[in-house]
Amino acid sequence: MLDRRSLLKSALALGLVGPGALWAADTPTAEAESADDLPPLAGTLTVYLGRGEGGLYDDIVAAIRKRNPDLDLRIRRGPSAALANTLIAESRAGVKRADLFWSIDASSLGVVAAQGKSRPIPASIQRHIKPAFRYDQWAAISGRLRTVAYNPDRIQAAQLPTRIMDFAKTDLKIGWAPAYGAFQSFVTAMRLLEGEDRTRAWLQGVKRQAKSYAGELGVVMAVARGEVDVGFANHYYTLRLKKGQPDANVALALTENDAGSLVNSSGVLLLDDNPLAGNFVRYLLSREVQSFLASQAYEIPMAAGIDLPDGLPDKIHPPKIDLTQLSDLKPTLELLRETRVL
Amino acid sequence: MKRAPLLWLPAAAIAAAALAPVVVLILMSLGAEAIFDGRSAEILLNTIVLTLITVGGAIVVGVPLAIVTTYTALPLRRLWIALLAAPLAIPSYLGAFAFFAAFGPGGEIEILTGIATPRAEGLLGACAVMTLYTYPFVFIATRAALQTLDANVVDAARTLGLPLPAALLRIVLPRAANGIAAGALLVALYTLSDFATPEIMHLDTFTRMIYVEYNAFGLDRAALMSLQLLALVIAVLVVEARIRVRRERPGRILHLSLGWPLRLLAITLAAVVIAAALALPIGIFTLWLLREGGAGFELRYALNSAYAAALVAAAAVVVALPLAYAASTGWFGKLCERASYLGFGIPGIVMGTALVYLGLRVPLLYQTLALMVAGLTLRFLPLAVGSVRSSTERVESTLIGAARSLGATPAEAFRRVSLPLILPGIIAAAALVFLEAMRELPATLLLRPNEFDTLATYLWRVYEAGYLGRGALPALALIGVSAIALVLMLSGEARRRRTLGV
Repeated sequence: MLDRRSLLKSALALGLVGPGALWAADTPTAEAESADDLPPLAGTLTVYLGRGEGGLYDDIVAAIRKRNPDLDLRIRRGPSAALANTLIAESRAGVKRADLFWSIDASSLGVVAAQGKSRPIPASIQRHIKPAFRYDQWAAISGRLRTVAYNPDRIQAAQLPTRIMDFAKTDLKIGWAPAYGAFQSFVTAMRLLEGEDRTRAWLQGVKRQAKSYAGELGVVMAVARGEVDVGFANHYYTLRLKKGQPDANVALALTENDAGSLVNSSGVLLLDDNPLAGNFVRYLLSREVQSFLASQAYEIPMAAGIDLPDGLPDKIHPPKIDLTQLSDLKPTLELLRETRVL
Repeated sequence: MKRAPLLWLPAAAIAAAALAPVVVLILMSLGAEAIFDGRSAEILLNTIVLTLITVGGAIVVGVPLAIVTTYTALPLRRLWIALLAAPLAIPSYLGAFAFFAAFGPGGEIEILTGIATPRAEGLLGACAVMTLYTYPFVFIATRAALQTLDANVVDAARTLGLPLPAALLRIVLPRAANGIAAGALLVALYTLSDFATPEIMHLDTFTRMIYVEYNAFGLDRAALMSLQLLALVIAVLVVEARIRVRRERPGRILHLSLGWPLRLLAITLAAVVIAAALALPIGIFTLWLLREGGAGFELRYALNSAYAAALVAAAAVVVALPLAYAASTGWFGKLCERASYLGFGIPGIVMGTALVYLGLRVPLLYQTLALMVAGLTLRFLPLAVGSVRSSTERVESTLIGAARSLGATPAEAFRRVSLPLILPGIIAAAALVFLEAMRELPATLLLRPNEFDTLATYLWRVYEAGYLGRGALPALALIGVSAIALVLMLSGEARRRRTLGV
């Protein structure tokens, strides 16, 4: 399932300390293309879009539509796990509707890729992606970091545990969004790193002091208004909230070398040989879209030569884990069910 | 009469279609390990407790308001009645949405007034919201029962020395009991099948867990839970079928003159209920609209909603006509009509799950508007059948016979006698189904074609993404649609009363 080379590559890349090394693209990476140089898109393209992150991805879609009036884009939106589930059910029944699966987290991409119905990403696309995030089966579009959002009015950064596992031992009030795909990826990472038993104990421990939210924006907002002390959420929710409300009571903290600071990736899976699908991915990796993702959505660009978003933490110690392993979602869901977190 | 068997064919086909989702669910659940563990027991318990408390709450709110508005001379009585019936027309998810945003630390109430409120969540939150949006079932059914009660019976009791409260308790309530029970069972049915309120309030009921399983690679489990939920619904339907509303000989309507403390109490209760069920959501959504504008909203969503709902309404009427006629042609036709009632008992989320699976087996239908329309038609068919039947029953064969004996051709008899009699029923059926379909959420969520967002699904999308403010426009649009529904319902009722001379 996972070849040794890619594990080694990721381990090397992700094990490095500090964002500079992690996000840098000094190995052979082509400059991001400008949307102006891309072939116009014409024809019908069906995209399953897993959790469109509110209106932000809609803005990207609207911009691509505007630029390509002959493109008949049909989008199905839903939670990433739900759409992955739909794709699997479709593939089992021999039904195919989507040309492209664009999802906010690696695990749903991996689950679908494991069905063997996706096409490898051509080298012409791969070369625009930062080397540490090149995968055979999907094209990484943007990076996101698991973080601990905390309310500085209620707790000091120094009082926060530096290991994610230790949160179960505190009496902090914690917010989480267990139905959200990125949270499930994070639990999968914990399961792989710490083992099933410790993860179960952690879930049970945190559940006693946890409040559930529908999404991670809800988690971060709850932290800001002091409903909970800390929350587990992707980094950009905090940065986006701070952009809208600069004096919001929320700040970012990271854990060290564990699932708590997992670097995950949103990405795209090609589900057939429709050339339109490949060209659509090139738009997503274009300078314009990548700059928008970085500056407006606060996501980490995956194309080379794009400025990083403001407010990203300086020192990141991500765990040594390969994102393709995160597709092993089923045991995670069993665990979440068993502990009644989901 | 001799044409009846011919009519049975389409009726049988429709009945079979109505049963199809159940068959699909049984097939789907075959793979699931059928263990009834602690988790299942908890979900069952949550569902039942939510239903019982909601029914209790609806009775506590609905019955006194029905008595007061029927028997006492309140100022602006007709306005009170309309406002008190109005929450029925608003889908409960809008209420849950507004309560979720209004209460709790950092909620809109605290932001606006500085008054700290507890969060609306869990069992209590779900019960409160469900009670506020279902009590009108009890209110309306009780009022209907009270209106047929002859005041002379009460007066007789009073002259025999029974004080007023005792008379209410011993004479009026037992006579209204069947009406209250009929309303209460509708509340139970509605609560069992409601999906969005438990989801927003984080209460693990069957509907919520079906959605969770559906989204987490557990189609077989979702099907199994759907069947369990269906068993509960059928139990309620069986009880409902046994309740017969007793017909009293109509007489003078009772008039009570309450003292001002009691009247004040009644008006306060009514005002609180209306404030919570109507003013709060409308206020919250208006606030969001002023604060955030209509960003992200597209007219397309409203047009899609209306388009799909119009198709569903047309399909439901076309399908309802043969069923309604067949129902008057003997036992088999009646059986088919009964079978079509199942759709109303199948919660939207269950219908959606079953038809998605069916669509995967028949790819031609998968993710098509046709399948979505079929699902919603099956779901709301009973509304159409009921409405059409009440008008076809008025077409007596003697009337047609009279027209024919006066020289009219069969076509002319249909055009000039039958059609004018059934047309209002058909229009009412279409309007009712249109409005229900427009507001439906869970089945639409699962069955809609790609690139086909409706008001309800867009609202759900912004909720899941956490951008609540963007829900203002679709929510207000849905409330507007609901208001039209209410006016239609009430004016239909008034017209019926006028034509019946009651």
